[in-house]
Amino acid sequence: MTKKNIWVIDDDPIYQILIDKIIKKAEVFSSFSSFKNGEEAINALNDSLKNMDSLPDLILLDINMPVMNGWEFMEAFALIKSLIEKPISVYIVSSSIAVEDKNKSKTYPNILGYLSKPISINDLLLIASND
Amino acid sequence: MKSINKRSNLIGWFLKRPKIAGLLVSLILCIVLFYVVSQRYQIVKENKEKEMENILSAVQQNIGQSLKNCYATTLTLALIINDDNGVPQNFDKIASQLLASNSSINSVQLVPDGIIRYIYPMKGNEAAMGLNILKSKNLRKEALQSVANKKMYFAGPFELVQGGTGIVGRFPVYNENKFWGFSAVVIRLETLFKTSGISTIDTSKYYFQLSKINPNTSKEEFFLPMVGDFSTKNYVSKTISDGDWKIYLISKNPNDVYAQLIVPTVLGFILALFFGVFILLIFRKPAELQLLVNEQATKLFNSEIKFKTIFDQASVGIARIDSYTGYFMEVNEKHRDLLGYTLEEIKNKNFQSVTYAEDLAADLSNLEKLRQGEIREYSMEKRYITKLGEIIWVNITVSPMWQINETVTTHIAIVEDISAKKEGEELLKKSEVRFKSLFDDSPLALWEEDYSAVKKYLAELNLINEDPQIVTAFLQSHPEIMQKCFSLIKVLNVNNQCLIEYAPKTKLEHLSNTDILFGKELPHYFIKHLVAICQGNNHLNIEAQIKNPKNEIRDIHLIYSVVKGYEDTLERVIIATEDITERKSAEKKALNTQQKIESLINTVDGIVWECDVETLHFSFISKKVKDILGYNPEEWTSNPNFWKDHIHPDDSQWVQQFCKTNTDANLNHDFEYRMIAKSGASVWLRDIVNIIIENGRATSMRGIMIDITETKKAEKELNNSFNLVTEQNQRLLNFSYIVSHNLRSHTSNISSIVNLIEISETQEERDEMVQLLKTVSESLNDTMVHLNEVINIRTNIGLVSQSIDLKQYIDTAQNVLTEQIALNDVSITTTIPKNVMVNYNPAYLESILYNIISNSIRYRHPERKPEISIDWFLENDMNVLQISDNGVGIDLVKNADKIFGMYKTFSNNPDSKGIGLFITKNQIEAMGGSITVESQPNMGTTFKIYIQ
Repeated sequence: MTKKNIWVIDDDPIYQILIDKIIKKAEVFSSFSSFKNGEEAINALNDSLKNMDSLPDLILLDINMPVMNGWEFMEAFALIKSLIEKPISVYIVSSSIAVEDKNKSKTYPNILGYLSKPISINDLLLIASND
Repeated sequence: MKSINKRSNLIGWFLKRPKIAGLLVSLILCIVLFYVVSQRYQIVKENKEKEMENILSAVQQNIGQSLKNCYATTLTLALIINDDNGVPQNFDKIASQLLASNSSINSVQLVPDGIIRYIYPMKGNEAAMGLNILKSKNLRKEALQSVANKKMYFAGPFELVQGGTGIVGRFPVYNENKFWGFSAVVIRLETLFKTSGISTIDTSKYYFQLSKINPNTSKEEFFLPMVGDFSTKNYVSKTISDGDWKIYLISKNPNDVYAQLIVPTVLGFILALFFGVFILLIFRKPAELQLLVNEQATKLFNSEIKFKTIFDQASVGIARIDSYTGYFMEVNEKHRDLLGYTLEEIKNKNFQSVTYAEDLAADLSNLEKLRQGEIREYSMEKRYITKLGEIIWVNITVSPMWQINETVTTHIAIVEDISAKKEGEELLKKSEVRFKSLFDDSPLALWEEDYSAVKKYLAELNLINEDPQIVTAFLQSHPEIMQKCFSLIKVLNVNNQCLIEYAPKTKLEHLSNTDILFGKELPHYFIKHLVAICQGNNHLNIEAQIKNPKNEIRDIHLIYSVVKGYEDTLERVIIATEDITERKSAEKKALNTQQKIESLINTVDGIVWECDVETLHFSFISKKVKDILGYNPEEWTSNPNFWKDHIHPDDSQWVQQFCKTNTDANLNHDFEYRMIAKSGASVWLRDIVNIIIENGRATSMRGIMIDITETKKAEKELNNSFNLVTEQNQRLLNFSYIVSHNLRSHTSNISSIVNLIEISETQEERDEMVQLLKTVSESLNDTMVHLNEVINIRTNIGLVSQSIDLKQYIDTAQNVLTEQIALNDVSITTTIPKNVMVNYNPAYLESILYNIISNSIRYRHPERKPEISIDWFLENDMNVLQISDNGVGIDLVKNADKIFGMYKTFSNNPDSKGIGLFITKNQIEAMGGSITVESQPNMGTTFKIYIQ
């Protein structure tokens, strides 16, 4: 099994530290990048496409973020999806347990699943093996 | 034949129009006359011209002869010049011989080299001696002309040096082909005229003129005195080439040609006129006669038509009848119409056959008397039988057409249809009987009475035409007079109903005693009756009471009516009475019921109404309207648009539309709206409307308006509190969401850290996690503090409002931010007037101002100097504190729902915590106000804080 490239988009700095630890412990990911909001992530994706850099296999996306939130990111992502050749799995990872958010996530065909924080190593292993 | 006819027609035509004929004859004669005269004029004119031509030719010949003589003379004279030395020989001798042989020459000259050297005779011509004609300005040109032509040339006429006027003929002489000079003759003008015969011209008819083109001026010069300009006159002319002269003979009277013709022309014209008049007179006579004949014929024709018309169109039937046989000879249209026969049919009938059998004998006996001469005419009413078999009544008047003692021939019968009259008489008889029975058998009790004595009595008292009030007062104070009046009424007749109702006795008893009818007591209405008589009223219609024979009081309707023709005397008066006791009581009952219903309606606590479907004009409105809206029912019903005009302006349109839609569909309806009461207040009404349908058509609407103002008020309050509860519930939901979301992010972090500690392999790793745990717990604490703060705001704990100076607080907020203001070079403009006092919690106001101003500084635009303006104004009765900046702005399309949310930030600014505006909004709302935001990215942001 080849190791995968994972991106985490979340504005919570504590969470960023923690997910870094968890990803490392999971030992199934080749590289890890973190972004403070959707806009940074979309810019990074565009840059990667331009520079032929490696694209992520997996994206963990928070909903509530400044500048560009999770939903807005998904809309921007849908626009450039056709340019991306390899499949990218997007999972929502949110502290919200509101049913509305969960239901809304289902309306986006590019979102594969909805995970509530906290996220464990097992959760990561599971979604990594799903592909 | 045809042409003869045409000709006679033409003559006939002229015979009828003598004026045109006369005029035509005159005209034709005038045309002939004109032709003859113009011919004559031509002849006379030609004759005259010929005569003048002859005279002038003679003159020309004479002059030509004279000149030829002169030519011979000069030639002869030239021959005396010696060829060798050029000196003339024997000049005087030869010259005298020449002059003697030619009387037309006055003198001769020899002019060697242009200088006059030799003159004969010298006497009288000395002045010319030595004159150089080639140097004389006047003579030079003509002299040179003769030299040039080498021909004799006659110069002049001109003034001679030796005196007088004359012409000079110069013959150029050449000696051995060399010009020697001239041989010349001088002819005085009068000599020329004499020899040429001009002097013998008849000066009464003509005069003579001589002209020459002046060689120096090239103008035609005339040498004889001019008698006016003759160019327009009648003249002839000829040219004499030897001297370039032109001679004229001019007629003195150019019009004498006309003068010769005037007399015969006028005579001819008069003759033509005279002949025309003559024709006119001759032709007129038969025309006049014809006219007379026509007139007589027309008169005759008219009178015939007149009589025929009278006979035919007469409104009575006229017939001429054979007095023996009785056959109709002539019958007019009316008569035929009466009997129904046509003219042919009636000519075969005699009067006996159309007369009704019963009346024939009388008619025949009358006719016999007429034939015998016993009577001269007779008139009778009799019956005819028409063609259709109907019997008609006629009045017939018969007159004989023969004189007394003459043979009996025919008679004239004039017949008048009197069927209608007869019928009328019959009807009258019948109607008399009918009216009699009408009176007797009338269901109303009828009296025929005589009031003449009453009127006379009233007249004696001087009450007739007196003021009704005075009469009333007088009668009231004199009951005995009333009694007297009453007793003066005479009953003439009563009908059967009268007997039945009031006195089951005989008619005679009735007539003698009015008391039976009215009892001993005077009826109370009688005073009115007497007043009416005094006023001359011939009709009276009153309600009265009367006692019947059973002594019951009955209500009656009494009609007093004076019979036509007795208005003055009141001798015949009809009194009719109708028993209305039952009707009266029914009416009373109905009235009672109505009053009951009305009082019932008026006690209903609502406005009961009725109105027309089409016009919405209210025909009824219950008295409650006064209590509910303050209007009088009359006010409402008298104005057709009252309802429409008093609906609240905000409701008027939809109410009328709603009402119309339902009414058109015949639907009963029930709706609520406001009306404006008399006091000006709005009153909420519930209007329950029923459509009244008669014969399938909506005719009117009835309904009730109930005052629901109080209910509406309660409803509004209920709505308000419902909204409040809804809003609070919404806030609570939001709050719980905020709480759960914000707390969950911390708890999930803690949970993750704990999990990592558990699986950590090194002490270092564990310490790191514990450090993180600390950070998380601090964040959690911060969040708890924020939430607590919000809850405090929400629950209004310890919230104290006081009157505070707004300006002062704005200054304070600026002081707190001094460092940031200075650092970022922010300019703040405040237009708040001094001493604006607001009732606010001081801490909240401080916090609100701080938050918004610091926000404006934090989100300044990087490319321009930050500017903030703070304003204060009124908007819809609310005070507004407005804070605007020129910062980066917010995309409100995307973020409208988040801007005032908790932990909502829009930038990566590290200072953004997403709590300031959330707290601010809560504080403002806790003070009973609200906050709105307007913003455009890159333009700036404006916050409006509404303060109660």
